[in-house]
Amino acid sequence: MISCRNLTRRYGDFTAVDCLNLEVDAGAICVFLGPNGAGKSTTVKMLTGLLAPSSGTVEVCGLDAAAKQLELKRLIGVLPEDLGLFDDLTVEEHLLLTGAVYGLDRQETHRRTSQLLHTLSLEHGRHTFATSCSHGMRKKTSFAMALLPNPRVLFLDEPFEAVDPVTSRIMRDLLQSAARHGVTVFLTSHILSVAEEIATQVVMIRKGKIVWNSPAGELPQSLEAHYFDLVESPVVEELEWLGSPPS
Amino acid sequence: MARLAAILRALWRAFQRGEKSFASLAGNNFFLVAVLFLGKAGTFLFLIMGLVILFPLSTDPLRKIPPSRLALWPLEKREMWLLRALSPWVNPMTWVIAALALWAVRGSVTVGLWALAAGLFAAGFAISELPLPSGAAMWRRVPHFPGPLDQLIRKNLREMLSTLDFYCALLLSVSSAIYRILGPALPAESFLAMTGLVVVALSSYAQCLFGLDGAGGRSRYRLLPVRGWWILAAKDAAFLLVVAVLVAPLAPLAGLGAAFVALAMGRRPSVEDPRPQTRWRFSAGASPIYGVIEVMLMASAASSIFLTSELIVLPCMAAWAGSLWWYGRRMEEPE
Repeated sequence: MISCRNLTRRYGDFTAVDCLNLEVDAGAICVFLGPNGAGKSTTVKMLTGLLAPSSGTVEVCGLDAAAKQLELKRLIGVLPEDLGLFDDLTVEEHLLLTGAVYGLDRQETHRRTSQLLHTLSLEHGRHTFATSCSHGMRKKTSFAMALLPNPRVLFLDEPFEAVDPVTSRIMRDLLQSAARHGVTVFLTSHILSVAEEIATQVVMIRKGKIVWNSPAGELPQSLEAHYFDLVESPVVEELEWLGSPPS
Repeated sequence: MARLAAILRALWRAFQRGEKSFASLAGNNFFLVAVLFLGKAGTFLFLIMGLVILFPLSTDPLRKIPPSRLALWPLEKREMWLLRALSPWVNPMTWVIAALALWAVRGSVTVGLWALAAGLFAAGFAISELPLPSGAAMWRRVPHFPGPLDQLIRKNLREMLSTLDFYCALLLSVSSAIYRILGPALPAESFLAMTGLVVVALSSYAQCLFGLDGAGGRSRYRLLPVRGWWILAAKDAAFLLVVAVLVAPLAPLAGLGAAFVALAMGRRPSVEDPRPQTRWRFSAGASPIYGVIEVMLMASAASSIFLTSELIVLPCMAAWAGSLWWYGRRMEEPE
């Protein structure tokens, strides 16, 4: 469903993504892990056709992501890094806009909108403008926009960060249910416990290069331990001034 | 005082990086035209303009600090007052106005100087405290439009109605209409001039149509499965609707012709250099030269339509449609 060959993106002398090779099957939940600045969001942008690769190819749903952008956009749902919300639209208006531009009829758009608002506990804030929403509400709105057109592939950039535990559980259940019905999910996250729970495939990236790619069941140890071994291990330094009496 | 100095230094740095006050000032077409018309007016008038137009055009520096952060800092009341009094001076525009004031009064304290001082005081103390609505909330009930772009057009209308450009144009339009109804008869050409001013007041906005969408909005545009020209057409629909309403009591066809030209001319900076704009400020266009060319072309189009032939609106529409097609394609290209 997702296929990258030698995918590379350079910004001047800096190589953000370096010869990335990746295959994700239909119905998989691929968790893409790495530290800040490792190249995760750049990869997501290339997979969704927003960013042209410097070299290499990307195919999503059998479409070349760089050449068939419009066709690809109709098949995917995206929760982008910056959430992609308009300050001047309410939560509900964002969903109605999504239904309209993805070609859903009015009745179906309203039905799905009501369901998503209810499922994601957004009903009370449906008439709130995005600019007045909490970060969690904004994230849920963007997540709902990704689901509403019933896409074949979901690209979610840090979907679980800043959402409450109940919504996080609902989102996980929705994603697992979607995957069981053949929807492919590609997500990035820093919450390793959640990633470990839902992943069927784990990919780790460091400095633009893949350092691990396997089915989740083939991890040799816990995800967190493996991540610390391969990507970066935490070094805790004592801050001698922290907690000392003020001078 | 060290705390205060540190904050002011940070403000200065942030303001220098984030704002280009002089460029913003010069990039507003209405200001350019106002300067042209008021060339022979007294300095006091310029000072009033400075307070009314220039200061809102540039951003209040204290707004650079998120209110939640400002509230958390351990500042004493006295330091907070000093910060409010000193922060406007981080904005180079304050110094320009002050210099103009000193030059105007030439040593003697006048009513004008007191007015200026009051204005600066208000700018420093009041602007950052004003509970300005987000714009969206104020215009919650904008009409619906047929077709899949309904919500986009409504959003674009709300954005446009939260700029001072619109209110300036509204003031011109309403006052002209009232004068037309109640005042003595005027030659038809006077309505052409007023129409021109109304569209000029809105024309800088045509150069920054994506300025109020923010980074999130712009990234959403790139994800929507629609052609680039659709997105531009939704922007234009809101702009043309506002122009049509405001020029309706004046010279409608000339106004629409000028609006088509403004949109066609504004397309390049709107798409290729989407300068972020601030609500409740005048829009800052691309550059003074660009603004002058845009205003001249708009004036030519409007006067030709009004004085020569109404059919001249057709080439204006063709230029607009061409820009829609060309820049629509540009919007579809990946970064």
